[in-house]
Amino acid sequence: MPPLLAVRNVAKRYGAVQALIDASLDVDAGETLALIGANGSGKSTLSKVINGVVAPDRGQLLLDGRAVRFDSPHAAKDAGISTVFQELSLVPQLTVAENIWLTREPLRRGGLIDRRTERRRTEELLSLFAGTLRADLTPDTPVFALLPDERQIVEILKAISVNPRLLILDEATASLDSRQVQRLFELIGQWKAQGTAIIFISHRMTEIEQIADRYSVLRNGQTVGAGSMKETTASDLVTLMAPETAGGAVERRRASPDALATRRVVLQIEDLRTSVLRGVSMQVHEGELLGIGGLKGQGQRDLLLAIFGGVPWSGRMTLDGKPVHFTHPRQAMNHGVALVPGDRAGEGLLSIRSILENLLVPSWRNYGFPLRMKRARQDAAAIAARLEVKMASLDAPVSSLSGGNAQKVVIGKWLLRNPRLLLLDDPTKGVDIATKAEFYRLLTRLCEEGTTVILYSSDDEELIGLSDRVLVMHDGRISSELAGAALTTANLVAASLGVSAGVAL
Amino acid sequence: MKRLTISPPLAAVLLAIVLFLLSGFLPNGFGGNLDVATAQAVNIVRLSVFLGIIAAGQTLVIISGGEGIDLSTGAVVTLTAILTYTIVNGRNEQVLPALLAVLAVGGLIGLVNGAGIAFLAISPLVMTLGMAGVVSGLILVITQGNVSGAVAPIMTQLIARPVLLGIPGAILIWAVFAAFMWLLLERTAFGKNLFAIGANRTAARLSGVNVTGMVIGTYMLSGMLAGLGGFLVVGNTGVVHIRIGDPFLFPSIAAVAVGGTLLTGGKGSYFGTMAGALVLTLVTSLLTTMQMQESVRRMVLGATLLAMIAIYGRQRGFRQ
Repeated sequence: MPPLLAVRNVAKRYGAVQALIDASLDVDAGETLALIGANGSGKSTLSKVINGVVAPDRGQLLLDGRAVRFDSPHAAKDAGISTVFQELSLVPQLTVAENIWLTREPLRRGGLIDRRTERRRTEELLSLFAGTLRADLTPDTPVFALLPDERQIVEILKAISVNPRLLILDEATASLDSRQVQRLFELIGQWKAQGTAIIFISHRMTEIEQIADRYSVLRNGQTVGAGSMKETTASDLVTLMAPETAGGAVERRRASPDALATRRVVLQIEDLRTSVLRGVSMQVHEGELLGIGGLKGQGQRDLLLAIFGGVPWSGRMTLDGKPVHFTHPRQAMNHGVALVPGDRAGEGLLSIRSILENLLVPSWRNYGFPLRMKRARQDAAAIAARLEVKMASLDAPVSSLSGGNAQKVVIGKWLLRNPRLLLLDDPTKGVDIATKAEFYRLLTRLCEEGTTVILYSSDDEELIGLSDRVLVMHDGRISSELAGAALTTANLVAASLGVSAGVAL
Repeated sequence: MKRLTISPPLAAVLLAIVLFLLSGFLPNGFGGNLDVATAQAVNIVRLSVFLGIIAAGQTLVIISGGEGIDLSTGAVVTLTAILTYTIVNGRNEQVLPALLAVLAVGGLIGLVNGAGIAFLAISPLVMTLGMAGVVSGLILVITQGNVSGAVAPIMTQLIARPVLLGIPGAILIWAVFAAFMWLLLERTAFGKNLFAIGANRTAARLSGVNVTGMVIGTYMLSGMLAGLGGFLVVGNTGVVHIRIGDPFLFPSIAAVAVGGTLLTGGKGSYFGTMAGALVLTLVTSLLTTMQMQESVRRMVLGATLLAMIAIYGRQRGFRQ
């Protein structure tokens, strides 16, 4: 009998980024398949191919042995494939019941929505998680009033309300507490017994060991291994996800921990807290390239934003030995701090304005009144030439640039100010390989010139290759520090997943 | 292939010239008489000045983005026109104090608008509409429905009469004012930051722009410029009534749009607004010359606005 769903040799490219090269998996009715891989290995893309959100460039999906093609998530849903998304897909203004039954509302004769049936069915669904939810959570509670874990559960209930043949859980446990996770696992057991196939995507190794029957490992867009969970160990899986590679694409000579310790401390942070961070302490030395690692969304973004004065925080911070408490990016900027934010289009660029203006936004005040445009233009041209920005002219809109060139503009606007402390939030995301290499050379040179860099990257190899030292974050705290010989991809992956250090070493 | 594109301000100016030339063929138009044509053209420009200056503040607010709009403009023009009228009361030496007073009052109203929008996160539409109501009510309370006062001779002289080479003072004032507006938008950090917050507020803030301060400053400027508008309007008409500013509100927004400023913010120019003010004033006076009813005038004005914006929208679509 053919498997319920078979994925064969799927490839998918987004612009310059090859997200999937050759991905395959099988999942049978009544079993749980764990789909695992490091950051950026293509797990989310693969799940989006399966549920019809993106169309693959190559490869095949076989449902019950027959080739299928989903043009939309709706088509996949009609075929019995339902997904719990990582980014929540609920409408905040609607109630729990309205969200769960959106577009599938039970109707009375005459076409009006049958509220009573909708409520009853929602209550049945909510009772699945009874005891792990607030007692006053009813079908009529609006979603905006829910906490993140409750929203996640509503999301799960919405996915299961269609009685799917295949349920994809993409990081569905990330915001749940342990009791809720246990209840979800009990339910998964029941659904399996009823013949539902489950694809479980998670970074938490302990959960994978507990719930999965089989596994499939992705690395850099390729399926590199699959098999039964009974015949493998956590450390084998980590090795599959991140084999020890020699050097890699990035080459930078690391400063030794001893050499670093003799240098001046540029930034010192003690007990930094924000709505996300729960007490972070760290030190960075002059000319050091400090990496911040860990799974996505563990507070890395908040840490960089807090240093830059972009989010309110409490704690102690000293810059060059002097206590500082920036409440606006302008103050940080005037102290020589610069931030390249993680969302290039949303936070880094003024898309409809020219390249010239994007480069000069932080610096206009240095050009007097009336603005000395000739000098401003020369400065912008010099930095664009230094970064080799490929553009029609400085007056072309920045939206006409490719991802890598646009990122050069974001970096360029700060280099124009010669920052002493450069904060980078996943700067090479969506950037082509050639530009990445240029970018690595640039960072290396900046550090040699004495600029201090704090880099968060979702690309583990890049982080290992560039950093002198890496702090791994988990749940708003620094969970471990890797330096010297311990700074390897395998250790980073293991530390990110919370696998005990001994396993991978 | 290079596509032929005309910038919106230029398109608006061309439209204005074509409309003006066509108007010569009307039964009571200038025909072939160059002197009459020149006189008519100068008069149209002179009439555009008041809308043009009142729409300057609107231009800044719309460029600042964040659904920026100032619906209190009409009420502020009325209030400041009345204030000018009563403070000046026919005396030349009172003109300067009156001007400072209306700038202060306009600025204060704008400051409240800006503070409400920046600190209380009230949408600009609601905030300034509410403010328009408050100011209108205030006018009724202060005046009790009738206003006494007079403009000073020097105001009439400078604003309504020819000053240099037969050019009315108002037009000269507008030319100087336009130079200042260009300087403000294109050659100051304030102007550059204004475009930045209009294009992307998050990116602007993370590039060190004080977005809150910029928003408050922009609405304050808008109030001050409406105040200046009220001062000039009353200087031109010489009389005042308690609805004198109302007819400027809709055209002040329309002039900005016709001038090609993006209504979503981040892109635009004051020259565009000037061209827009010319087009709107010209269409209005043409229709008046043709003795069209008020209802028809409004319909034609509305249709002109829709047509221009539709054309700009298509152009943008082609280019990207």
